[in-house]
Amino acid sequence: MAGVDGEGVLGTAARAQYAALARLRWHMFSNGLRSTKGAFEVSARIIVFIIYAAMGFGMGSGAGAATYMLASDGQWQYLPIVFWAVFLIWQLVPIMLASFQEQFDLSLLLRFPVSFPSFYLLYIVFGLVDVSTIVGFFCSAGILIGITVARPDLFLWTLLCLIAFAAFNILLVRAIFAWIDRWLAQRRTREILTAVFLLLMLSINLLNPALRQRRHTRPMSPQQQAEKLRDSGAQFQIQHNIWLKTANSIQKWLPPGLVAVSVRRAAALQPVPALESLGVLGAFVVLAGGVLLVRLRGEYRGENLGEAPKAAPSKKKAAERAASGLGATTRSASTAGFLDSYGPLSALLEKEVRTLMRTLPQLYAVGAPLLLMVILSGGLLRRGPGTHTFAFAVPVCMVYALLGFTQLFYNNLGTEGAGINLLFLSPTPFRTVMLAKNIFHALMFLVIAALGAVLATMRLGMPSIAVLVATAAWVLFALPCNLAAGNIFSIIMPYRVNPGRISRQRGSQANALLGLLVQLVVLGFGALGFWIGWFFEDQWLSVPIFVLLAVGGVIFWMRVLSNSGKMANNRKDALIATLVKTD
Amino acid sequence: METAAIQTHGLTRRFGALTAVENVTLSVASGQFFGFLGPNGAGKSTTIKMLTGLLEPSEGSIEILGQPFGAGALELKRQIGVVPEGMALLGRLTAPEYLRFVGRMYGLDRATTNQRTEELLEFMQLANENKKMVTDFSHGMQKKLALAAAVIHGPKVLFLDEPFEGVDAIAAGMLKTMLTGMINRGATIFLTTHVLEIVERLCTHVAIISKGRLVANGSLEELRAGVASTLPGAEEGQRLTLEQMFLSIVGAGGQEPVQELTWLA
Repeated sequence: MAGVDGEGVLGTAARAQYAALARLRWHMFSNGLRSTKGAFEVSARIIVFIIYAAMGFGMGSGAGAATYMLASDGQWQYLPIVFWAVFLIWQLVPIMLASFQEQFDLSLLLRFPVSFPSFYLLYIVFGLVDVSTIVGFFCSAGILIGITVARPDLFLWTLLCLIAFAAFNILLVRAIFAWIDRWLAQRRTREILTAVFLLLMLSINLLNPALRQRRHTRPMSPQQQAEKLRDSGAQFQIQHNIWLKTANSIQKWLPPGLVAVSVRRAAALQPVPALESLGVLGAFVVLAGGVLLVRLRGEYRGENLGEAPKAAPSKKKAAERAASGLGATTRSASTAGFLDSYGPLSALLEKEVRTLMRTLPQLYAVGAPLLLMVILSGGLLRRGPGTHTFAFAVPVCMVYALLGFTQLFYNNLGTEGAGINLLFLSPTPFRTVMLAKNIFHALMFLVIAALGAVLATMRLGMPSIAVLVATAAWVLFALPCNLAAGNIFSIIMPYRVNPGRISRQRGSQANALLGLLVQLVVLGFGALGFWIGWFFEDQWLSVPIFVLLAVGGVIFWMRVLSNSGKMANNRKDALIATLVKTD
Repeated sequence: METAAIQTHGLTRRFGALTAVENVTLSVASGQFFGFLGPNGAGKSTTIKMLTGLLEPSEGSIEILGQPFGAGALELKRQIGVVPEGMALLGRLTAPEYLRFVGRMYGLDRATTNQRTEELLEFMQLANENKKMVTDFSHGMQKKLALAAAVIHGPKVLFLDEPFEGVDAIAAGMLKTMLTGMINRGATIFLTTHVLEIVERLCTHVAIISKGRLVANGSLEELRAGVASTLPGAEEGQRLTLEQMFLSIVGAGGQEPVQELTWLA
């Protein structure tokens, strides 16, 4: 084994291992084509790749256009904004799409004599084939083209900076994934992480009023409005300059700022300061690589992430417990019950609540829309004073909240794992299982949607009553449609979700793609309904349309629910095989 | 005539061109501790899946406690307990939460479920682990929990697929005591395991499946007598072990030449 290690990361043995791994991936791919489901999955993956590429191309074009304009006009002080946007996309997108992507779990390599440098390299290389790298690549290419067209002399320097920036992003995103998975592996860190996440979500809503920039005021005359606009415009300019100065002084030491500053200094023909910024960026690359290295080193050494054995209770405590007549489980039993008298349905609901509260990736998927609503509504607010009332903010927020539930709706059995056996073994009809899941998910959605609506109203103004009622009617249509389609997809194309991990999941692109397709149809109906109201200048017209659709949606959901037992029974073998497998 | 607890007729399961279980007809009387043996890939787990409603037979019929059994037979499902191959655990729950969940899924009221949960956790020596999630349990602890979940509703028929795998000797002893107690109180147990000593000690009747076909079925004494009469070299009155019988019946009685792997240290 020492010989293998000794040959280094590009030695003969290491290269043989890379080749074996590549062959393994190829076999997994080609074997997947043998079944209809596998072929379908591959087709879906190709389509999804094209969508990602198109998305990346669009973002890249935007980044290119923005940098071209900034470089042409010499507005270099705004360049960091572009790099911060790319940085956020690079870091946030993979977390948001983690469970929709098939990711290869490299921990299986640990049983083989793979050297640590090879393991580290493979971990990074396999991370390259994901949506963030595709989008990041397009954005970087766009920036390079944008700057080069405006200033051809900056091509080489920009390329060098972008390579360093890409390396930093790739290493950082992999390090974040590796560390989150590590924290999710143990109860104590998992609980802390969940608490922090919940606090963050809560803070967003509680702190929002403090960030509030719009105040409801008395109606003003056109002249007063013009004066206010002029005053606030001037005030905005002053505040903006202060903000920009402060932001630049801080962010010039952070990677997106460093890369922008380096290019800016190169543009100003200051090679030494430009090199300094690039050097600091290089230090960040090394730091991100080091953080990843520390984590992977632990994993490579075969760390034990199991919980430490619990000490036996002291004799005194045991005696006290016996004397009080309380068993070990009495306390939790007394606090466990809610919806106590509804038999299996309440048991299932309780299980869903407990599972979600202990599954950070799912909590994140559910809560992320709120976070992004704040960011997106902030974007609308920055358009300037007086322009930040958006009549359709609430319906748009509902749509966004709905998208956040895609995985929960469309793969609602994914986290059951081996527990799917129990659901089939127990005398509880399978439709009760699906009903419990649907009730729980619907309640969760309504809570998030309500929070989103409050957020949208506070940030972007109160919509008309007609829009609110129409939105509620549309939700009554969209929710049952999604639940019904989700039940079907969950049964016919489920995939196992490891609830303790954010990365290294084996998602189903086919499920994700078809789920999004259904959502697009539902959203299309919504858009059409609102458009009719807007076109005839009476938003109340949308209400009966959505109510009619809602009736259809509810009937569809009920039919699917009543047939879900039969469907699950017919697909039982495949369901168990898919959800119980641990590879 | 007493109703059989488990009765199958011509039970067959095909997966495409492969016939995993072929024409299995067997009867397990009430109160019997029944061992179902076979080499790897013989069809044991497939059979147990069909008997518990996890897999639909391609052909044949199943009766449990005298009634036809299918996936939709909910009342019958209340009468049976199962430790399946994958154990059916929910990793994100703690042991007490999981047992309470299972109890209520089987229709027990909250008070009974809580009481039995406590008793089972104490019995399985898992009471001190009530804050730990099932996913953090060792394999042996998971097995004990799966067994506790299989019996929480007091089943009349219990199916166990490899229940002793990964369980320590102390826990195995406890489990055997519990299972024997269930038999004494009239329950029927259908057990598959590769640990033949356990079968020999606990089971009164045994069936052996090989390549999907039932090749032996009867009481241990009947099997012993049958094998002794055909086994070359067996002396009259010699008490054959179950291992000897098993190897003889499935055709690997130590007489086939074993290729030596000379490159092994």
